[in-house]
Amino acid sequence: MTNRVLIKGVEAVALGALEGGCDCYFGYPITPQNEIPEIMSVELPKRGGAFVQAESETSAINMVLGASAVGKRAMTSSSSPGISLMSEGFSYLIALELPCVIVNVMRGGPGLGGIEASQGDYFQAVKAPGHGDGRFLVLAPASCQEAYELTAKAFELADRYRNPVMILMDAILGQMKESTVLKKLNIKSITKDDWALTGAKGREARIIKSLFLDSAELAERNLKLKKKYEQMEKEVRFESILDGNEEVLVCAFGSMGRIAKESVLKLREKGYRVGYFRPITLFPFPKKALSSIFEKNNSLKQILVLELNCGQMVEDVMISVCGKAEVISKFYPPSVLPFPEDIEREIKKCLRKVYFVSPKV
Amino acid sequence: MRPELAKFKPLSIKDLPKEDWIAPGHRACQGCGTVLPLKLALKVLGPNTIAVSATGCMEIISSPFPYTSWKVPWIHVAFENAASVASGIDAAIKALKRKGKLPKKEKINIVVFAGDGATFDIGLQFVSGALERGHNFIYICLDNEAYMNTGVQRSGGTPKFAHTTTSPAGKVIHGNITWKKNLDGIVIAHNIPYFATASPAFYMDYMNKVKKASLVEGPAFIHVYSPCPTGWGSKSEDTILISRLVVETRLFPLFEVIDGKYYILNRKVDKPKPVEEYLKLQRRYRHLTKEEIELIQQKANEEYERLVKLCEVFAPPKEGTKEETKET
Repeated sequence: MTNRVLIKGVEAVALGALEGGCDCYFGYPITPQNEIPEIMSVELPKRGGAFVQAESETSAINMVLGASAVGKRAMTSSSSPGISLMSEGFSYLIALELPCVIVNVMRGGPGLGGIEASQGDYFQAVKAPGHGDGRFLVLAPASCQEAYELTAKAFELADRYRNPVMILMDAILGQMKESTVLKKLNIKSITKDDWALTGAKGREARIIKSLFLDSAELAERNLKLKKKYEQMEKEVRFESILDGNEEVLVCAFGSMGRIAKESVLKLREKGYRVGYFRPITLFPFPKKALSSIFEKNNSLKQILVLELNCGQMVEDVMISVCGKAEVISKFYPPSVLPFPEDIEREIKKCLRKVYFVSPKV
Repeated sequence: MRPELAKFKPLSIKDLPKEDWIAPGHRACQGCGTVLPLKLALKVLGPNTIAVSATGCMEIISSPFPYTSWKVPWIHVAFENAASVASGIDAAIKALKRKGKLPKKEKINIVVFAGDGATFDIGLQFVSGALERGHNFIYICLDNEAYMNTGVQRSGGTPKFAHTTTSPAGKVIHGNITWKKNLDGIVIAHNIPYFATASPAFYMDYMNKVKKASLVEGPAFIHVYSPCPTGWGSKSEDTILISRLVVETRLFPLFEVIDGKYYILNRKVDKPKPVEEYLKLQRRYRHLTKEEIELIQQKANEEYERLVKLCEVFAPPKEGTKEETKET
């Protein structure tokens, strides 16, 4: 019997975390993700885990740091302003190579913004979660099912790379209800015996630190981290709808990806030559996959990038496409949510351009 | 005794202005015990006031842009830093007065309205900093004993055994597992000019405290008990009853502390009502066992007796007598 339930995106995240073997949850209330701590406060004590409500986000992320250092699977969740407050901890987690899962249910910004859906934290998550040269592995689900599965998987990925993993979703996905199958996922447990700080009795003492006053040592440290980010390329995930005859490719992630997918499917039914590409890992960005689409398909001349912000992912797309096609950015700032029909109109505009304005490109 | 308070004449109901400085039509719940003390405070402080809000119910209900309930200048920044913002405003006013751009004698009240989450938890270091630096402002903590705006999560101000969504009452735990943080003790330890606790049921007592807070030079802190029907599962019409009972059961005694050294008990409760009378009006306590109620009763009595002793030992000097100072 399949365990199918109707749950919210944030509830799927909480249940996914439990499936992924989360031992400890630390958090602080903020809309729109309060269902996660609520579920964790009920479920974790039953499973021998720990739930602690911190007195601020700064405190929560440093609790995660502590739990992670002793080898436990730890997580926290917040929304944009809370994530900003955590960013000092992010930098230390990256530097100390401590695995953990951080959920950001984005809301509109900057400043207090609002509680509408937004994808405005793309840069913060993908480019610079904290100060210094550090990166997160960033996963962007687009459905409750995916939120469940990716959150569970995130714990394995975090442990494999000894790096924080961020689940980047937004208020729409977090608060909408969808039917979700709570299937058993085969989440591997990865040994931490070689680094976790579990007491030095009977073995040599271990040191995990982020202070390197010797410049050569610090450089080496940074290069080591960079190598790790390159290895993460193996984890690249994306979803695409392509048959090799497209003239326009639509690229969007998260909840915007869902809206875009509907418009693309409708247009394809009517015979329009439109493709669809949704990055699931935002870092590492599926650059090679995206660029190879253009190499294989000569008729593909345009890529339409759709986002719920003022144009952030479009920069990564430009780097990936690297002049092989025209990159068109269509963005929707927080609280201006497009309908699939709006996007269909945008896609048709692009197609018209291909046929009439620049047929020779 | 401080000279500002020595000749204080209490306000009576006749002295109160008709105007309110927070407009009706805001989005607070029925029977909200938080917006009431906020309104009364502004009534006393008048229009020459700058209000600073921390994130919380009072910010959300009063300011759905482009509407506002505030008839006085109002600023809100983030969750934790209302006390810092007030410090900045105070520094700016002092600078403007020094440069002669504001009349030196003009009295501008700076008042912070913050909830228990913003005061007990995330904002504690900022509150402490502002009190320690001695800025001239009033900090009013509207304590509804949990994070109500985000959906009733526990805070440092949540009493023991109270059910919240992150301290759910069940088989494993019976509601919140810790006692309420002694914020009063922390604030008093800063030796600020004026500290008081208040309850909206004793509104004249509360409004006089706001008046005193505005008179003293330096930081003043008022800890106001604020029932939340939504979060506590109490009836809207019981808000005032609950805020009266909390005092009459000795759970939230009304007192003042001047300069961190003189204690004044405002309302002696010689014949306390049993705490059960107070607890049974709220669904957040409905899971309590007899032993737990007894434990709450014990704690209330202990704390109250401790306070009475403090008020006896550290009573302010009587008027007319000179303050004794020991020279070393």
